[in-house]
Amino acid sequence: MNQNKRSKQWFYLTPSMILIGAIVIFPILYTGYISLTNMSLYHWKDFKVIGLANYGRALFKLDEGFLSALATTLLWTVVNMVLQIVAAFFIALGLNAPGMKLTRLYKTLLMVPWAMPSYVSILIWRVGIYNTDFGLLNKFRAALGLSRISYLAENVPAFLSCLVLNLWMAFPFMIMMFDAAMQSVDRSLLESASLDGAGFFMKVRYVLVPAIRPIMLPPIIMTAFTTFKQFDIFYLLTMQKGALTGSTLQTIITYAQQNAFVSNNYGLSSAVSMMIFVLICLFSLYSNRNIGREDEIG
Amino acid sequence: MKKRILSLVLAATMAVGTLAGCGASAKGDQESEKGSGPVSLTVWHDGDEAIMKVIEDTANKELEADQISLKFEKKTGLTDQLKLYGSDEQNGPDMYLYAHDSLGTFAEMDILAPVTDFIAKEDEKDLIPMTVDACTYKGTQYQLPLYFESLLFMYNKDLWQGDVPDKTDDLLAYMEKHTDVQAGTYALLNQHSTAYNVAPIINGYGAEIISKDGKAGLDSEVYKEALAYNQKFAALQGDGDYNTIAQLFNEGKAQAIIGGPWLVSGIKDAGINLGIRSLSSFTLPNGKKLAPYSGVQGIGILKYAEDGKKEAIGKALKALMKPELGQELAKQSNCAPANNKSYEDQEVAANEMIMAIKETAETAQPMPNIPQMSVMWGPAEEMLAAVNKNGTAIDEAAKTFQQKAETAIKDMQ
Repeated sequence: MNQNKRSKQWFYLTPSMILIGAIVIFPILYTGYISLTNMSLYHWKDFKVIGLANYGRALFKLDEGFLSALATTLLWTVVNMVLQIVAAFFIALGLNAPGMKLTRLYKTLLMVPWAMPSYVSILIWRVGIYNTDFGLLNKFRAALGLSRISYLAENVPAFLSCLVLNLWMAFPFMIMMFDAAMQSVDRSLLESASLDGAGFFMKVRYVLVPAIRPIMLPPIIMTAFTTFKQFDIFYLLTMQKGALTGSTLQTIITYAQQNAFVSNNYGLSSAVSMMIFVLICLFSLYSNRNIGREDEIG
Repeated sequence: MKKRILSLVLAATMAVGTLAGCGASAKGDQESEKGSGPVSLTVWHDGDEAIMKVIEDTANKELEADQISLKFEKKTGLTDQLKLYGSDEQNGPDMYLYAHDSLGTFAEMDILAPVTDFIAKEDEKDLIPMTVDACTYKGTQYQLPLYFESLLFMYNKDLWQGDVPDKTDDLLAYMEKHTDVQAGTYALLNQHSTAYNVAPIINGYGAEIISKDGKAGLDSEVYKEALAYNQKFAALQGDGDYNTIAQLFNEGKAQAIIGGPWLVSGIKDAGINLGIRSLSSFTLPNGKKLAPYSGVQGIGILKYAEDGKKEAIGKALKALMKPELGQELAKQSNCAPANNKSYEDQEVAANEMIMAIKETAETAQPMPNIPQMSVMWGPAEEMLAAVNKNGTAIDEAAKTFQQKAETAIKDMQ
């Protein structure tokens, strides 16, 4: 490629590079810079570089509370992903069953949770389903003569309540992905398997799953990331300012928010952010390496 | 060839266009800064636009002859906005109107000018002292108080049986008699796990969420006593969530509610026959009165605005503290004015809610305005939720959340 052509390519890329630089690269670099300073409320205009001291303090925050939050986050991610994948797979399978009627209607209805803003969905669930006075669950209990209970006051019921809500909100995407992947599978493969005497589970295991795996890996990894860094559901359901429920559930993101981001100490908050950023980068690199391997095997 | 040139031009235009917004812009509304001519002062706020309109219109009428005008602009998340623009003369406001509890934060950031740079201390002689105290940080007054709010005892006159008692113990006895949690009917509702709403008991017991010198007080014996007393009420107050209790009261399922003036319009729309009592009229078992927090809405001046607009700002502040402005605020927006003279108006004096808030000013304590308070709400409310909703023992909760509060305060440095 001659020099002139190469320069032109870079020139054409300039607008996007400026945009990416301004909205992606610059904030990361600036956060990195702030993490090395003592910028806080008390050093608003006269902050200075203090080296890695904030990282030392941020590491100190990786205490028992952080480890417990990490364990909750991992449990939350694993349980959510297993339930989402299994349930969405079978629902999509049902939607693609030969002779199934009104599939478009079902698909549209299944998309409803996705169409709603998450903030609205969470508050509707909080008041409409889990609330002790107005919630549907307690209305049922009251109708059965049972006492009212607070579903969000203790950790295990609160975790399960968050889980159910997250599944409700996340199913549409996963179902849509499985549905699209299944529609891309050549029907003749399944018919051939039937002619060879394969039953339902054999066809699923040896034909359908291998065929959709390369298509499903990216959305599954993407969803795993979203689930891992879930903040809205925990925060709005159990720890919204002025409406705390009593549960002490924490994920690493809520833990970081509560322990570093309310302090107006921007140096320390930035150091925590950079550490989470590195953690997610490592997670991403690891996942991408696995995708690469899958592609090679495929 | 033409296509190549066109694509090169387009790429160059896009590159320049992406950077177009990065330049500094001159402030459009600075018609005149020094000397004669009209002066426009920008005031940022994060409050009710109808209230701001009353302030803007009334003050502008007063300032018309001086060719000074106030222009109120709503900025959601004002604290963050002022952190961004508080030192930026080109893009920031001249003044802001906000609750006093963020004052310490802005003062520590060194973005505010003292009010006394613009008006004399004696000009403020008619202001309620509590409101001036609220606007003072480390001995310097940085805000001019306009109106204030505090919690009230609001009851449904059609549902409440007999007289409202004067002692909190009698109130508790009434609640025990008239509350059926399983049926969802309540005598008195409060946000029992929200620090602001429990403050009347905490302050009344002589306890402090945080001391004036920034020390967390969640594990003091009096604080624990106050929480134990509040716990008795909380057991009879259901979930205690803001929306839930407001809805229950509006639906007639609760006879009374502890709430602020912001609830009144919804209550009136629901057709409730509303009665109001000041919380200062209730006596605790220790003989002291309930002492809620008060939130004072005041005007602060950005430091850079002092240069060139000092005279105009001084005149604007004098117009803003006129009793007539307080009277308009009271009549049109149900706000309790900071100026004592505003209450001399008959219509204002006949307003039950405003007079209850004024009465509360006798025992009310201004919300702490030190920056450390911003990190205290979290641990204080988590402690209340743990005790009232999760069943955690008070001693255990006090130890956990005191430690959390101390760490949060330390992290600020």
